[in-house]
Amino acid sequence: MNPVYWISGLFGCIFFTGTVLADAPNEYVNYSDSGHELDFPAYHDPLDELDIDKSETRYQFERSSLRALNVQDPLEGMNRRIYRFNAQFDQHVYLPVVRTYVWATPKVARKGVSNFFNNLKDIPHLGNSLLQGKFQRSAETTARLLFNSILGIGGIFDVANSMGLPQQPEDFGQTLGVYGVPPGPYLVIPFLGPSSLRDGTGKVVDWAIEDNVNYMNNRDFMNDYQATWGIWAIDLRYQTPFRYGALDSPFEYDQVRYLYTKLREFQVDN
Amino acid sequence: MPRKTIRICTGLLFAIAFTAQAEQFDYPETNPFMATVAGTPNELKVPVPDEVDVQQDDLAVRVLPDRKLPPALSNYRDLHFRVAWHDEPAPLIFLIAGTGSGYDSSRMDYLKRLFWQAGMHVIVLSSPTNHDFIAAASNSGMPGMGAEDARDLHTAMSMALDKAQDEKGFEVTEYRLAGFSLGALNAAFVAELDTHLGQFNFSKVLLLNPPVDLYASVGRLDDLSYTRIPGVSDNDSFYEHIFQKLSRHFAQRGNSDIQANLFYEIQNSPEALSDPELAMLVGAVFRFSAADLSFMSDLINHGGRYVPADKELKVSTSLTPYLRRALFCDFSCYINTQLWPAWEALNAGRTIDEMAYETSLRSLQAFLHDSPNIAAVSNADDLILTQNDYRFLADTFGERAYLYPHGGHGGNLDYPQVAERYMDFLQGDAQ
Repeated sequence: MNPVYWISGLFGCIFFTGTVLADAPNEYVNYSDSGHELDFPAYHDPLDELDIDKSETRYQFERSSLRALNVQDPLEGMNRRIYRFNAQFDQHVYLPVVRTYVWATPKVARKGVSNFFNNLKDIPHLGNSLLQGKFQRSAETTARLLFNSILGIGGIFDVANSMGLPQQPEDFGQTLGVYGVPPGPYLVIPFLGPSSLRDGTGKVVDWAIEDNVNYMNNRDFMNDYQATWGIWAIDLRYQTPFRYGALDSPFEYDQVRYLYTKLREFQVDN
Repeated sequence: MPRKTIRICTGLLFAIAFTAQAEQFDYPETNPFMATVAGTPNELKVPVPDEVDVQQDDLAVRVLPDRKLPPALSNYRDLHFRVAWHDEPAPLIFLIAGTGSGYDSSRMDYLKRLFWQAGMHVIVLSSPTNHDFIAAASNSGMPGMGAEDARDLHTAMSMALDKAQDEKGFEVTEYRLAGFSLGALNAAFVAELDTHLGQFNFSKVLLLNPPVDLYASVGRLDDLSYTRIPGVSDNDSFYEHIFQKLSRHFAQRGNSDIQANLFYEIQNSPEALSDPELAMLVGAVFRFSAADLSFMSDLINHGGRYVPADKELKVSTSLTPYLRRALFCDFSCYINTQLWPAWEALNAGRTIDEMAYETSLRSLQAFLHDSPNIAAVSNADDLILTQNDYRFLADTFGERAYLYPHGGHGGNLDYPQVAERYMDFLQGDAQ
């Protein structure tokens, strides 16, 4: 065997593996001051790529946040009391009841209950889509109502969603918003939570629509069997992910007020 | 090339390929800001049980009987915490939340389920910097000093444990301790304190993404809130800018049905948030925590910085004017204007650097280096670490430093490769 071949071959091989190593995506470095042999991924500073304002007048955060606190809230004192009441009701009554409900029923049953009540809400959704002149959305919501009420056995299954027709909520508060009605003063409604004069009024109108349409005679049925209102109320909370205290701040009221206001602006625009 | 050489060469290549394979870290999110904000995509997370399937409850203890709180803040009189337990005797792990986070934050809930699923009882506590802890369990009402916070936490832990065992009647075989972010720094100080007190004798202590020098880390997070964002001028609101992006995204998309993976959907659309925008989001959340902290601490100490000393905060009193003022105080401002004067009054002639050192892991270096039951998890691109901090972790913890090439600040803690390793450490019997 020719040793020259052998040696040059070995060099080639070392060179080759060397390139492979250099191309490895993560670089490893020995960071030891005290002499251990371990290699660790090389540090890199994510802040290096940012342009951080070092001037005296760097007020972007303050400017944005102060503006966010400008929400029309003339009834703030009363609102804050109701907010506290709602939080305590939630903690001591509402959530424990919902937890018992979750404990006592299988997930499929709860899903069926939610689907059933959501299907009924597609009635005001349809009415408001029409009022806002959103015809494609109206057609989709009509299709949802038909599919879910018939194939979904009175709405217990949301078959429309699996067919690519997700629910598209439109309420009367949004309809008023689309026609330029401003939200008016912020309101916290007992049991229901954040709202505004416009949206609170909207809720009443939506309620009246559901009452008058009495779709699949649901209102008659529910009034005959009052316990169904209890299930309705439990499902309402079950479907709402919001938890008091989740924002982890003594200023939760202020933050919720801003987020609610933005959410509504957003819903009106879309 | 002769055949033998080829064989050796191939062997070498395989050996290298194999080692590289063993070390290959495949966490998919390489952007540190995305990882920090969004964490691991749901389908790649270590699966944990649903919240409803965990045997758990929220309890409360009165830690400071003499603490007076105004009606507006009366729900923080007791320290609330969360306990998840098993019916059989098991190890108990205390879990401490990060800066401005409560015992009920979603990250804590995830870790709780991970530990519970592995057979541990879990007690989750709010960060000593969180408003509820300041009000209910901080003796000085002024968190941010390592040793003092550790004493407050140690007391709170003992009381929470008594309460939980009283109410739920579970048996504990040994104690463990874990913390995330600032909570990890707290855990290190609590572990050190406990070696003097001999109360819990923690068998394992796990530091998840700890800061090293606390004041340097909060300075970095403060800085994020000063990130310049292309397209946002000196008159625009950063939040409006984000909302407009969202709005355009939904207009483009045609329906407003909000999906669970909304964030990933947006990040894959033309309206994706840029790195400076993500950085600013992280910074803004942190600034709100700093405002809460500055406000609460001042209120407890009757500093009169925000609320006049003689003013009583009723349930109906608007706190908005105080928030407006507290927003101007970032975390470094809290340290300089509230913490430092109080410390200096007790430590005449000493410098602010000495105060910083006392609350950094550097002051515990020998203890951390010599304790085989303490491990740290972090990333080479963790937002809160400087290069020297990172080097300190590598050097001090050695093979107990689980450092990964990317993952941002805690973004990969729920990723199997990362979680399995620290869970092995917690469950293992290496002492």
